[in-house]
Amino acid sequence: MWPVIVLLAGPVLAGLLSLVIHRARLLHAVNFATMLGLAVAETFLTKRVLAEGSVTTLGSLVYVDALSDFILIIITAIGLSCSLYMWSYMDEQVARGVIAPKHLGVFFFLFHMFLFAMVAATMANSLGVQWVAVEGTTLATTFLIAFFRRKESLEAGWKYLILCSVGIALALFGVVLTYYSSVRVLGDASSALNVTDLIGVADRLDPNVLKLAFLFILVGYGTKVGLVPMHTWLPDAYTEAPAPVAAMLAGVLETVAVYTVLRSKALVDQALPPQFTGNLLLTFGFVSFVVASLFILLQHNYKRLFAYSSIEHMGLAMLGFGVGGLVGTFGGLFHLLNHALAKALAFFAAGNIHRRYDSLEIENVRGLARSQPITAVATLAAGFALVGLPPFSPFVSELLVVSALSAQNFASDTMHVGRFVAVTVSDEMRSLGLVGVFLFFGVVLFGGMMARIGAMVWGTPQDGITRGERWTVGHVPVLAMIAALVGLSVMIPESLRTLVTRAVHVIVVR
Amino acid sequence: MSESTQLGSQLVDLCSVLLLLSCFAIVAQRRLSACVDLFALQSFFLATTAALVAFLTGHRHIYLAAALTVVIKVIVLPRILRKVIERLNVSRELVMNINIPAGLLICGGLVVVAFFITQPIIPLGYLLTRDSLALALAIILIGLFTMIARKKAVTQMVGFLVMENGVFLGTTAAAYGMPLIVELGVFFDVLVAGLIAGIYTHRLQDAFDSVDTSELTVLKE
Repeated sequence: MWPVIVLLAGPVLAGLLSLVIHRARLLHAVNFATMLGLAVAETFLTKRVLAEGSVTTLGSLVYVDALSDFILIIITAIGLSCSLYMWSYMDEQVARGVIAPKHLGVFFFLFHMFLFAMVAATMANSLGVQWVAVEGTTLATTFLIAFFRRKESLEAGWKYLILCSVGIALALFGVVLTYYSSVRVLGDASSALNVTDLIGVADRLDPNVLKLAFLFILVGYGTKVGLVPMHTWLPDAYTEAPAPVAAMLAGVLETVAVYTVLRSKALVDQALPPQFTGNLLLTFGFVSFVVASLFILLQHNYKRLFAYSSIEHMGLAMLGFGVGGLVGTFGGLFHLLNHALAKALAFFAAGNIHRRYDSLEIENVRGLARSQPITAVATLAAGFALVGLPPFSPFVSELLVVSALSAQNFASDTMHVGRFVAVTVSDEMRSLGLVGVFLFFGVVLFGGMMARIGAMVWGTPQDGITRGERWTVGHVPVLAMIAALVGLSVMIPESLRTLVTRAVHVIVVR
Repeated sequence: MSESTQLGSQLVDLCSVLLLLSCFAIVAQRRLSACVDLFALQSFFLATTAALVAFLTGHRHIYLAAALTVVIKVIVLPRILRKVIERLNVSRELVMNINIPAGLLICGGLVVVAFFITQPIIPLGYLLTRDSLALALAIILIGLFTMIARKKAVTQMVGFLVMENGVFLGTTAAAYGMPLIVELGVFFDVLVAGLIAGIYTHRLQDAFDSVDTSELTVLKE
């Protein structure tokens, strides 16, 4: 009970407190203490979820099972690292005069509202409350993206607000349709959107309505995930957002958006054969993966490079969920965690580079290894992790997804990606063909990504670039994340594995 | 079907159709302030529909939703938008991505599409509000179209609010309103979105000297 209250009330209190505090040091301390509190509360909550299976509380407004708890772990872990990173990052922005000291409090207020909305979206029992919270994330982050108030960031913020609002309005229609089908079964109850109530009766819901509902929800929340072709806001927003905000957007917000899709999938799969949602996710995932890996070849801006890599990784996770089964879903979930760690690391590094080189262009950044050795290591580690090289954990999850993909028998006769790839051959050949195409684009991506990261890390720094990197508190999360990425590739802690396995069983219903 | 239900059903249909018609009027309108007025009128029809459904079915909480619609969508949001227009000194949408006759034709097509999509699920609905679901989807699609076809930040906002109206009509039509907490949350989000867009257009004006979103071209591949 109390961990749930801490997780929900913590960010709200910290946000309000940030508005009245004016000293920067105190603001950071409040921020860090809150994040630490959230992490501790989350640890206790995980223990309870592991012991009891699920927690329903606050008048059944809150429902936490293995799946949502796993997402909460990602939120709190990345949030905690961000709070440390922001300590040095934001102070430097204030010292440089990029933002006025009095705006620092507003920044933290918005940041905590963003955090609160994400926690609420993950914990909400009702699909409607979940929608309200997801829209809340859009509203809170619009000003965060445009926080530096440059022309470009204002443009990116507006694009984000409009596109995500449209997406989210479509998702709301999906939620309404879900309600439309459930009221018929559950009666005119105020709980007819609650996951706890829906789970029991989902197989009796009308399949036609659910089909339409899932389409709207996938397109709507898919806009927030950044699936192609609804992704156009994403590169701009990630490029213009301050580095810690970009880390939260890429690492956490996308994960929460995927979670909302998974919740609906778990529901719809009970009333329809899993091929329906599976094929949709496969199609979107595959298209996102391919398009993003091609766009990565064109990038000359390192933050945009990482943004497109986000689209690619979300596509990959969607492939895992689309193939489904125990292996694919486990791979997809594990990939969400790995991607969050790697992408947050990448944006932390990008923030360090930007502050030193004052440019986002890759060609203006040379000799990172000499000017900023720690950041150079972080950039390389993030790059290796993002292209899926061992010994980093994304390698493991990508391997799981690819294995599931190649073992999959596309036996259904509805639409699927396999048909576009290899038309007349047998099912085995078809899935192998799909894997072949997948691996080809994996190689394309590898080349595009490593060439650019190599260009930044090696060489001699331009004149006028200070050499050497002073140790700050912002380096702590960077090193911790590298350690976590390497550690998770060697072994997954027992409790985490149990949790993810149970989360898999939440999604795979048959 | 009893006579009173039939009459009620026809009244609800009438109001929903008026909502749809005001969508077409928004698409055909060049003047920004008229767009905002039409949106307020549409929201008024929406509140009437909701109140009608509440009266005919006896679901009291829909009255609350209708009242909130009047306060937020008929009074507050149009006032914010009018202030924005006044302050920015823009009154006409001079250039559109798609001209008005073509836009109206496309919207007509969208209505057909909406009826086509919802055909298999309409028989599940309550007798009273059956056809409103298709109309709701049509309004959502037209709102989406407005956001794509228009360039001014204000009209894009109106397009979003029209979409929201469509969803709300769907809620009332499909299920006699959502759970109260969800409805309150949705109203809160819409209100905050309107406020944010208001502040935002102001900042866009300062930075770009324009609220024409086709001027937003700094970010390119």
